[in-house]
Amino acid sequence: MKRNEGADRRMTSEEIGKKNAGAFKKVAKERFANGTDGFLVNREIPDAIADRMTEVLETDERCLFAVVADLTPEGTYGDTVLLVTDRRFFVVDEKRAREYAFESVLTAKVKRMYGNAVILLESKGGKKRKIFHFTYAVASLCEMAATYIQNIADGAERSYELEVVEATYGKLNCTCPKCGRTLIRPGAECIHCQSKSKIVSKLIKYVKPEVKTLIICIILSIITTAIALLPPFMTQTIVDDVLPMKATGEIEQALAKLGILVLSLLLAYVVHYALGALRGYLLRCSGDRMVMNLRNDVYEKAQRLPMKFYDKTSTGSVINRISGDTATIQQFILKVTQECLVQALLLVGIVIIMFCMNPLLTLISLIPIPFVVIGSRFFSKKIRPFYQRIWRRWTAVTSIMTDTIPCVRVVKSFASGDRATEKFSKYNKEWFRVDTRSAKITQVFPCVIGFCVTCGSLLIWAIGGRWALVGEVTAGTLVSFISYASMFYNPVNFFAHLSDSYQSALVAIERILDILDAEPEYNKPDGIKPKKLEGRIEFRNVNFSFDKTKKTLSNINLTIEPGDIVGIVGTTGSGKSTLINLLMRFYDTYEGDILVDGINIKDMDLDAYRACIGYVQQEPMMFSDTIFSNIAYGEPRASVEKVIHAAEVANAHEFIVRQPDGYDSMLGERGVGLSGGEKQRLSIARAVLKNPSVLVFDEATAAVDSETESLIQEAIERLISGRTTLMIAHRLSTLRKANKIVVVDKGEIIECGSHDELMALGGKYHKLIEIQSMGQHREGLTIPD
Amino acid sequence: MAKFLDGPECRFVRTGDTQVELHIYAGEVYTGLEPRRLFPTTGQTEYISLLDDDQKEVAIIRRLDRLDPDSRAAVEGCLAEYYMIPKITAILGVVEKYGVLKWHTETDHGPRTFQIRNRRTDIKMLYDGRVLVRDSNDNRYEIENVDALDRHSQRLLFNET
Repeated sequence: MKRNEGADRRMTSEEIGKKNAGAFKKVAKERFANGTDGFLVNREIPDAIADRMTEVLETDERCLFAVVADLTPEGTYGDTVLLVTDRRFFVVDEKRAREYAFESVLTAKVKRMYGNAVILLESKGGKKRKIFHFTYAVASLCEMAATYIQNIADGAERSYELEVVEATYGKLNCTCPKCGRTLIRPGAECIHCQSKSKIVSKLIKYVKPEVKTLIICIILSIITTAIALLPPFMTQTIVDDVLPMKATGEIEQALAKLGILVLSLLLAYVVHYALGALRGYLLRCSGDRMVMNLRNDVYEKAQRLPMKFYDKTSTGSVINRISGDTATIQQFILKVTQECLVQALLLVGIVIIMFCMNPLLTLISLIPIPFVVIGSRFFSKKIRPFYQRIWRRWTAVTSIMTDTIPCVRVVKSFASGDRATEKFSKYNKEWFRVDTRSAKITQVFPCVIGFCVTCGSLLIWAIGGRWALVGEVTAGTLVSFISYASMFYNPVNFFAHLSDSYQSALVAIERILDILDAEPEYNKPDGIKPKKLEGRIEFRNVNFSFDKTKKTLSNINLTIEPGDIVGIVGTTGSGKSTLINLLMRFYDTYEGDILVDGINIKDMDLDAYRACIGYVQQEPMMFSDTIFSNIAYGEPRASVEKVIHAAEVANAHEFIVRQPDGYDSMLGERGVGLSGGEKQRLSIARAVLKNPSVLVFDEATAAVDSETESLIQEAIERLISGRTTLMIAHRLSTLRKANKIVVVDKGEIIECGSHDELMALGGKYHKLIEIQSMGQHREGLTIPD
Repeated sequence: MAKFLDGPECRFVRTGDTQVELHIYAGEVYTGLEPRRLFPTTGQTEYISLLDDDQKEVAIIRRLDRLDPDSRAAVEGCLAEYYMIPKITAILGVVEKYGVLKWHTETDHGPRTFQIRNRRTDIKMLYDGRVLVRDSNDNRYEIENVDALDRHSQRLLFNET
């Protein structure tokens, strides 16, 4: 039905086209719009190409989908379209359309190169050629298209293949249209594209609980500001009223008056400083509370960040943000909520008083203000990039520390302490260079401002002094004017510098929000919380790549029955660990589905799901805590006997007993004091205690000697009975209990079956076993059966 | 062990977009080899690995400039096809929105607009004046010489690094 409608429209379009080129264009454009008659396209097809397409199509031909790519065959930027119809496919550019038939295709493949890729077509005649050239921007679409062409050429069902195509185009909506980041689900609001005004509202969250204290502080500041305005006023009285009394001979009265004035000045100062101290204390407290809450939130969020974030960001920089940047923000918030108001009040108060005393002199003393304001604006523009740069250099310095100091053993063993020092001092020097360069601006600027300010008071002396001499103003007015003017420049200076601290705070806020706003691991709200899993695991058409250059896993289909012991074998980099990472939900951006007990793992509550899986890593990580707490890490409230039992199962109890401090032995940073095998047994005990339904061993015995291995092996065998177990292993002897072996190579499962089946097959597994048993013959060990 | 080719003993003939045929003086002939750079950023014309159909290395060319001109042209033609790193000749505009940079540029492949997700990791300044840029789709770009850019482009660039 649909197809006929499309054909009708096309016929009309041609008729119109003959008469009116403009109208024709419009119809062609409409025809190839995304969604018309189920036609799919990634972006608008340029007019010239749409015309060319209309020319080559037959009247009843139905267009299925098209990929608009960004490279011409010559390799320059320009539009080219891969158009797939129900009977053939085309590559169309502005000049010509090339036609290809599905029947003549032997293979269609995407070849990814560097920054660009091509679709390679091998015809049944054996000729290989590139037909379509594009950059990585459309690589995933082209991969889909190549698979479609290949499958149709192989005689696959078109409707089924089209479902895959539709799903891939559907995924396009899964990226934010504004920034191109991947969204958690189609149509979700992009966390990154929220407006900056929301940033403010986010900070307000931390200010809110402190509002009461802050208001008290503001009231206190108003009082202190008012008091601060008094002294110059009193000095005026002293100069104008008290000192001239000497001339009239009323020394006694003058002294009394002076005494009262000095005493009230003293009182004013006492109140001023006492209130100031109180206010400072209150501010410090509420500021600390704010930064504490902010730090808590950032740390909590850091725990929820996906592994993808940590792959790209050094842990040093994350730590830096939690410790350093939060403090910068605290200072800034205090500055804005408090100082700003105080200084503004002071400014207004002083201007009013000065105007009352002498408007003309006030205007004169205001002359330098525009220079100060313009200067500060200029300065803030100059300084902004520097803060980013300084921070970046500083992160480089700290990341060297966090990298090399924990790895001090490697550094020492390669005698490269000097080199490390050299590298450190090089980066440190870089930091120094940028920091001193910015120092030029940051230090010179206040001096220039200071100079302008001084010029202002010089003006007052010059002009006001002359007026005082001719008697236009009193000497007292002049003196108090000078002191008001000097007070007046304080707030001006403050506002000039505000931009400075505003800039550094903005940078800090940006970095904090980088964490606070980063997409957290996807955790479905009200996800299913499994108490216990049966342990049936299913991978369905799983594809995954860390970045767009290389597919790490492709077309993984795997079913694991409850109680299965599955060995995953393959060379380094073949994708074994990635498979486990996906099962653990460390990465969520894969295509296809992973089901456990028939439930999509993305539909489960993240924590509850992970709690059902025991994961033993290749390199056991220990916390700086007691052995007991390290075993009980996943279940801190476990009873002592349960922990001991877990240690026994893991063959760890015997060596713990031999420790002088037993279960209370403190493990230093990275578990200094225990051997690799001992730590591994502790981490197995940790997994045992969890009593998980699914067990995952990621090369748990790779780093230990044969004797320890057999101890660990024993522990593992005790542990795995009745549970679904996945074991990645290099040493195939570890897998003698496995009833199913999966061989992974270059991201694909190439063999799957029992040991005997695979040996009979004589493929990769057979080859691996041969190689290893040869090695073991030499060591005088037995061949695994 | 890797087999190194130094120049006089070998000859290359281009047989495909990214493939060459290797003739060695002693008489061996290898077909369907794909040249790849071992140091795509730091060594554009040195240590070129030759991979066969199974992505296994057959030999490494030490330096391209020691090959005879025809062979060199053959290998360089393949490399140019494989490595697409447009040279940015001018930065026309930089728009930052929501933490993502959008660059409008002029390149030797034509005008191009692309996005940069993370300025810290995706814009790399080298000490020799080159700048390496990676866009949100993992396409690569290069500024050959910062100092040769016009002032406007330089200003836009230095605001970012």
